[in-house]
Amino acid sequence: MSMMHASDVNDTATTAVPPTASLMRWVIVATLPGIATMSYFFGLGVISNVLLAAAFGVALESAVLRLRMRPIGVALNDSSALLTGVLLGASLPPASPWWLIGVGMFAAIVVAKQLYGGLGHNPFNPAMVGYALLLVSFPAYMTLWAPPQELLHNGLWAQIAGTLPTAQLDSWSGATPLDAFKHKGDTLLASEFWATNPLPDGTLSAWRWVALAWLAGGVLLLAKRIISWHIPVAMLGSALLLATLFYLSDPSHFASPLFHLLTGATLFGAFFIATDPVSAATSRRGKLIYGAGIGALVIIIRTFGGYPDAVAFAVLLMNLCVPLLDIYSVPRPTGQPKAASGKPGERP
Amino acid sequence: MPRSYDFPGGIHPPERKQRSNRSPLSEAPLPPRVTLPLQQHSGQAAAPCVSAGEAVKVGSLIAKREGMISSHLHASISGTVSEVSATQITIEGDGQDTWQRLPSLDWRVADTAVLVERLNESGIVGLGGAGFPTHIKARVVEQHAIHTLVINAAECEPYITADDLTLRLYANEVLQGAQIIAKLCGAQQIVIGIEDNKPDAITALQHALPDSQPVPVELSVISTRYPSGGERQLIKKLLDLNVPSGGLPADVGVLCHNPGTLLAILQAVRDGQPLVSRIVTLTGESINQPGNRWVRLGTSIRELLEQVGLNIAELHQVIQGGPMMGTPLPTLDTPVTKLTNCLIAATREEFPPAPAESPCIRCGECESVCPVALLPQQLHWYARAEDDAKIERYHLFDCIECGACSYVCPSHIPLVVDYREAKSRIRLQRIEATKAEHAKHRFEHRQARLAREEAEKQARRQARQAQQRRPSNTASPSSEQVDLRGLRIAHAAAKASVKKAEKTLARIAQEDPKQPLDDLEMQLATAQENLKAAELQLAQAREQHSSEKSP
Ligand code: SF4
Ligand code: SF4
Repeated sequence: MSMMHASDVNDTATTAVPPTASLMRWVIVATLPGIATMSYFFGLGVISNVLLAAAFGVALESAVLRLRMRPIGVALNDSSALLTGVLLGASLPPASPWWLIGVGMFAAIVVAKQLYGGLGHNPFNPAMVGYALLLVSFPAYMTLWAPPQELLHNGLWAQIAGTLPTAQLDSWSGATPLDAFKHKGDTLLASEFWATNPLPDGTLSAWRWVALAWLAGGVLLLAKRIISWHIPVAMLGSALLLATLFYLSDPSHFASPLFHLLTGATLFGAFFIATDPVSAATSRRGKLIYGAGIGALVIIIRTFGGYPDAVAFAVLLMNLCVPLLDIYSVPRPTGQPKAASGKPGERP
Repeated sequence: MPRSYDFPGGIHPPERKQRSNRSPLSEAPLPPRVTLPLQQHSGQAAAPCVSAGEAVKVGSLIAKREGMISSHLHASISGTVSEVSATQITIEGDGQDTWQRLPSLDWRVADTAVLVERLNESGIVGLGGAGFPTHIKARVVEQHAIHTLVINAAECEPYITADDLTLRLYANEVLQGAQIIAKLCGAQQIVIGIEDNKPDAITALQHALPDSQPVPVELSVISTRYPSGGERQLIKKLLDLNVPSGGLPADVGVLCHNPGTLLAILQAVRDGQPLVSRIVTLTGESINQPGNRWVRLGTSIRELLEQVGLNIAELHQVIQGGPMMGTPLPTLDTPVTKLTNCLIAATREEFPPAPAESPCIRCGECESVCPVALLPQQLHWYARAEDDAKIERYHLFDCIECGACSYVCPSHIPLVVDYREAKSRIRLQRIEATKAEHAKHRFEHRQARLAREEAEKQARRQARQAQQRRPSNTASPSSEQVDLRGLRIAHAAAKASVKKAEKTLARIAQEDPKQPLDDLEMQLATAQENLKAAELQLAQAREQHSSEKSP
């Protein structure tokens, strides 16, 4: 009958996992260092992104729940829609137009989450569905990363409102390091590429600081036992391994493993995106395979695919594999005969 | 050095044992009246053998076991039987506490059959909570070679300290009880599994160890983790043996007993004292003299708690058993039984009601703590969907209902409740499915009974005839060729089928204590009727045969 519950006994800190709602809130808290660092380097547009997306998340979730005639209060209380908003907001180029954020959140909350049955039932990571949709549909807007500090406050409102003329947008557009490296061309050697100073001053170190801030948030999540180590470690491990192999095979054409780790969304993805429990594999073995799959896909798509960063696609592709992983990583219950675990026909 | 292996999962709930393990064990006052339910064990309820108005002493037999998986019941106070109902017997005490004991036995010299019969006569059942009749457990070993007797002193549930106190005070007696069982099952070693949060009990055991003869005893102190006291978990931990799914510890040559049971066994053998009292942990924030008490069976729980300072204003609920696997009592006007190991009178703050359930977020926490390595989350999903095929393929029936998964679930999903519901639903379906079978077995039983009665009649008639015939034995019914050999074979077959039915019944009852047993008891009864009839026929034929041979 279990009268005791880990999250309501206050004299134990060892095994207690916070209840779902506060779990989500802790993840939101853990995003703060990353968001703060991003807005320090890329301007207030980061914060406006996050706030707008979060507002869209809550509004859309309430609207759909009302349509589905579900209790709104209980569901909103779990903060999962808020979290999706924060995560998508933090992934978008700073000061994205409101409608872009709206479209992304619609895809995330309405299509990816609620149409599949709401919290716990979505096979795909909602934030990444939103992100991928925007990336495919509005590539121009999605690569508009303003160079650090260049987006001034007067332009902020116009951009959020979506009223800035595109020409001006273009002039502001700055490539991300991954983007720049991806499009350096085959003939250029890596060393020559870097010698041309392809990025505005400070860009590279800004991305590094941001990556480290996400790492800090991730460590907090691990320390609070909000996430288990399996997915981030497997993902970073496999990404680093693959990147190192490529780099060692041809350092002049492949980016260094550290470059992969510290630019783009690698660390953000490892701690905040891939670890979404709902869309990830559940067993420990499954989580290891799942994480490793994402890490490998990230490097493969970045290196050979059409997109500079690839966390969203890697996560979504591995989401696809989760049902299979869940079936094939079923542990053998204690006392059950060994034979049952090898044959797919006898799998539960 | 004690070896230590590991089972998967497990949790560390707050222990809260200090509340009850600091005060000495004492005797609860003699209750003025006791109410003894006829069902205090797994299997069939006992059948009353006293009537209202009859005077009884402590230890008088008041209800006999009915069927094979059942247990005798004895008066726990002296006085007068005031009421015998379909479910319970009430005795009004005379305050004299006069005892009726069985003769003392020396277990070292006594015959095993005598010892097993003593366990049966004394109404001893497993005192850890399941209440399996001990004499059956002693006999299940007839079919299995047992190498190790495990004393399950892990006591991993929070709050409960009954075994702890038992060992601190009666370490010698418990070990002697273990030697008795070791003798009965032929175990070559005794291993005590105890969690390291009971230092005093461990010390007491260490002192008692050298005197424990003849089977060597090993003390294995394991780290504190719930549910290391689960039989399978403990056997894995101590001996690195996996009890097969749907099997028994006996299948891997192990037998488990808890210290309280072993003490009761010794008392039954050495002192001739039937099971009339037990140690109960009384704890919880709502009582102010927590501790362990020797309590006569049948004592009212309300009176018992009031004696230890129950604060009724603060009381939120009383839980029987531990907080993980116990159940809240719907009323306090219910007696202590052989199964009552702990009563927690809890305040609301102590066990706050679980927050509203939210959807499963597939976090996998439940899976990581499951000691059986099941997938609680999938089980929950299929249990709610009533997808029974999937449930069984995900091994629902391997779940030991330990509640570790519910404990950690961040969405506060009452997972174990789902499993229990699904299990009982599936059990019901199985009964439905076997109803026709059951009817057939009832019919067979009736046929067998009629046949046995017929055989009895025949035997009586023959005896009469034999008497009349004696002077002139010319009128022997030699037209009926007596097929002695055939009858002997039939008799042996009937005997074998009784054995088989007993074996099946004992196994099923132990594997799954919640399984309804009527059908199996019926089949056993049928086999017994057949055996009786065969015995009569055989005896009859032998008689005839000899009378023909020696005119
Ligand atoms: S209650 Fe059952 S499923 Fe849950 S942890 Fe215990 S054994 Fe596993
Ligand atoms: S612990 Fe609860 S929320 Fe997490 S997977 Fe298990 S059932 Fe779902």
